Amino acid sequence: MSPGRPELVAPLAVEGLFAGYGGGDILKDVSLSVPAGKVFTVVGPNGSGKSTLIKTLAGLVAARQGRIALCGRDITRLAAARRVSAGLAYVPQEHNVFRNLTVGENLKLSTEFLDGGRLAGPEQRERVLALFPDVAERRGLLAGNLSGGQRQMLAFACALMANPEVLLLDEPSAGLSPKFVQEIFQAVLTVRDAGVTVFMIEQNVAAALPFSDIALVLVAGQVRLVTAADRLLAEHDLHSLYLGEA
Amino acid sequence: MIAYLVTILTLVSIAAIVALALNLQWGLCGMVNFGIVGFVALGAYTTALLALAGTGPILALAGAVAVCALAGGLVALLSVRLSEEYLAIVTLGFGEIVRVVSLNEAWLTGGALGLPGIPRPLIESVPSESYDWVFLGLCLLALAAVFLLLESLTRSPFGRLVRAVRDDDVVAATLGKNVLRTRVVAFAVGSGVTAVAGGLQAFHFSYIDPSQFTPIVSAYAFMAVIAGGRGSNRGILLGACTVMVLLEGSRFLKDFVEVLDAEQLASIRLILIGLGLILFLIYRPQGFGREPRRSAGSLLGEAAADGRERTS
Amino acid sequence: MAQLVLNGLITGMIVALPAVALTLIFSILKFPNFAIGAMLTASAYIAWSLNVLAGLPLLAAAVLAALLFALAMVLTDRAVFRPLRERGPITLLVASMGVSFVLENLCRLAFGNLARNFDIPIARPHRFWGLRVNQEQITTAIVALAAMAAVYLLLRHSPLGRAMRAVADNPALAAARGIDRDRTILWTWAIAAVLTTIAGVLVGMDRAIDPLMGWSYIISIFAAAILGGLGSPVGAVLGALVIGVVQEVSTLVIASNYRQAVSFAAIALLLLFRPQGLLGQRRIKR
Ligand SMILES: Nc1ncnc2c1ncn2[C@@H]1O[C@H](COP(=O)(O)OP(=O)(O)OP(=O)(O)O)[C@@H](O)[C@H]1O
Ligand SMILES: [Mg+2]
Repeated sequence: MSPGRPELVAPLAVEGLFAGYGGGDILKDVSLSVPAGKVFTVVGPNGSGKSTLIKTLAGLVAARQGRIALCGRDITRLAAARRVSAGLAYVPQEHNVFRNLTVGENLKLSTEFLDGGRLAGPEQRERVLALFPDVAERRGLLAGNLSGGQRQMLAFACALMANPEVLLLDEPSAGLSPKFVQEIFQAVLTVRDAGVTVFMIEQNVAAALPFSDIALVLVAGQVRLVTAADRLLAEHDLHSLYLGEA
Repeated sequence: MIAYLVTILTLVSIAAIVALALNLQWGLCGMVNFGIVGFVALGAYTTALLALAGTGPILALAGAVAVCALAGGLVALLSVRLSEEYLAIVTLGFGEIVRVVSLNEAWLTGGALGLPGIPRPLIESVPSESYDWVFLGLCLLALAAVFLLLESLTRSPFGRLVRAVRDDDVVAATLGKNVLRTRVVAFAVGSGVTAVAGGLQAFHFSYIDPSQFTPIVSAYAFMAVIAGGRGSNRGILLGACTVMVLLEGSRFLKDFVEVLDAEQLASIRLILIGLGLILFLIYRPQGFGREPRRSAGSLLGEAAADGRERTS
Repeated sequence: MAQLVLNGLITGMIVALPAVALTLIFSILKFPNFAIGAMLTASAYIAWSLNVLAGLPLLAAAVLAALLFALAMVLTDRAVFRPLRERGPITLLVASMGVSFVLENLCRLAFGNLARNFDIPIARPHRFWGLRVNQEQITTAIVALAAMAAVYLLLRHSPLGRAMRAVADNPALAAARGIDRDRTILWTWAIAAVLTTIAGVLVGMDRAIDPLMGWSYIISIFAAAILGGLGSPVGAVLGALVIGVVQEVSTLVIASNYRQAVSFAAIALLLLFRPQGLLGQRRIKR
């Protein structure tokens, strides 16, 4: 059961996952496996359950059936804050920084109250800040006064402070101007190259795919297709995939 | 004993009018009025001053209603654009101002001594033995009139609109300006109704002083509304009766437990009201009565339909 | 005039303490706590009992009272506010009025309506440059400033302070970061109780303790907090100083009985013209 050689155990693996909000299941039998050191992107039409999937992974929505494993360890029943300690960091789509606190305080709070051994030491802090020089320069500023792109970077930085194995990003480009969109995806690559596996959701398929390694198409709560990101648009018709004609 | 019962009933009907007014403001519109005693006092003083100046009782009462409605409208206007918490603070401040003015402006209000000799309505035309009965009749009449007025208001498109707004922030936000006006009007109407209670109180005692208008008046009203069930006028009547009877009944405690003086009794009552409020909020937020719960959507749908009927 | 300003600043410092408490509770629990006046009264009576009835020196009595009252408010939160936590501000503020009735009248029941004084020696006022300053005012200034500095440091530079501000700012994210909301709320009540106890003792030293003492400050406390923009402790302190000075100086033109009315006028003007508070900058939402 020990992780042993991490390259062989997927950092994040999901088997037969069912989840929903009180009514029927939104996710129906989702299975996937995210290979180490890759950017894994989930796309799909509105309301297909993408956010539900990432919330279930983060521990904000309870799984009804199935199993979620982080580096081989079963985390299906772990509370959200404990999953962070276990190495799974989550950046929500919005409201993802404390706006009335300074950038420095945001960074500090990202690990201060986590129990478990993930407290960020100074070296982790330096490593993270080196990835995001824009954020590092503005430690005294209120997070609410950052630009949209910088705020998103700060949210990434906060998530990375816990030194996660896997970073979950819910629509990182949502609401950003085109200029920032490129910047944000560049930051995603930077994170990946720093050795963190990235699992993200994107609406903006055209912008996200060039920065992704693997793409998963989720339709009506079910996995339709998993493929190399650069082959998705070349070999498949997204429109008919979304409409359910295979 | 009968005389005592008549007095109690008179006081209950006055308190019930206050509770009905609060029900319109807090129960139906969600506008918390912590200064309701201030409006009662304003109504009482205005009635008293007008009556002492020689206007008839009806005219005095009407004047009081107008003054209070105006004051209520202004108070609501101050905070209506902001979130509801501010209205609670503003009304508390308003109540305090009324108290301070009534205490300190002796030239107008008689200060701590108050205003004596307020002429009671019909006093000349009714034999004095049966006057208390007649006055009780007047109070019940006023209560019935207020009840019918508020009941028809509740059922009108106006009433449905304010309830829809209270129950649903989104609806409130989308309806915008109309709603603000509606709320100000509702608060003003409630304040006017409160003035009736104040006026009746002035006539009943035939003198008024600031000590009659303590926070316990507001406390009774809140207790009656929460016990009767917010939103239901019928429930409020019942709530006001039970609360007043229970609390007035506690007067008899004094005869049994000799160590208690009037002051201690008053504090015990307020402790009971405080606890009662809290317990109702936690365990029976709907009170004993119950307003039929309906979705904001259905309320609005009806309100819109009514509007169409009217215009066509 | 200078004398009035000085007196006003001292009054302001006293008002600032409960105003900060009110602000903390408002920003973390999201409702205006109408029991704040009664909290002032109740804590003062606890300190008075320990000082006069139990014979403790005032300082020891005050410290012990602060601890006891903090415990009392934490228990009150458990019993009253916690079950109502998700019911919205209107329900909570009506409940806080209920708590206010209970606290104030427990005091009246136990101690009667007579005014009580602490067991402290009466000192002669000092004079500096023609200004009369009595010993209580000096104590008030020192204690209040120290308390405010302590709260400031706590909020800015301690983990608890960061947790409180994080919960106030974004409860969902705070929970995701492992911050325990209930524990944070508990500490918020404790801090608020300590602040009101300090203010209660200072008022008791300056004037006297009676069941209505908290009531006579409540409008000023709210005015200070609103002036500061409801939600900003520093704003509340500045608001309190402004309110204190305005109240004292207004006695030149209006009878001093109208103190609370002056505060109310301040609230009214502010709501009409600057609903975001004096400091102007709205707290950043969302
Ligand atoms: N909190 C909730 N309670 C109940 N149902 C919800 C909740 N959140 C989402 N849903 C429902 O679950 C389904 C999937 O929603 P989800 O947000 O996961 O979709 P999505 O793929 O992220 O859509 P989008 O692309 O618009 O963000 C939708 O039908 C939605 O109405
Ligand atoms: Mg989504």
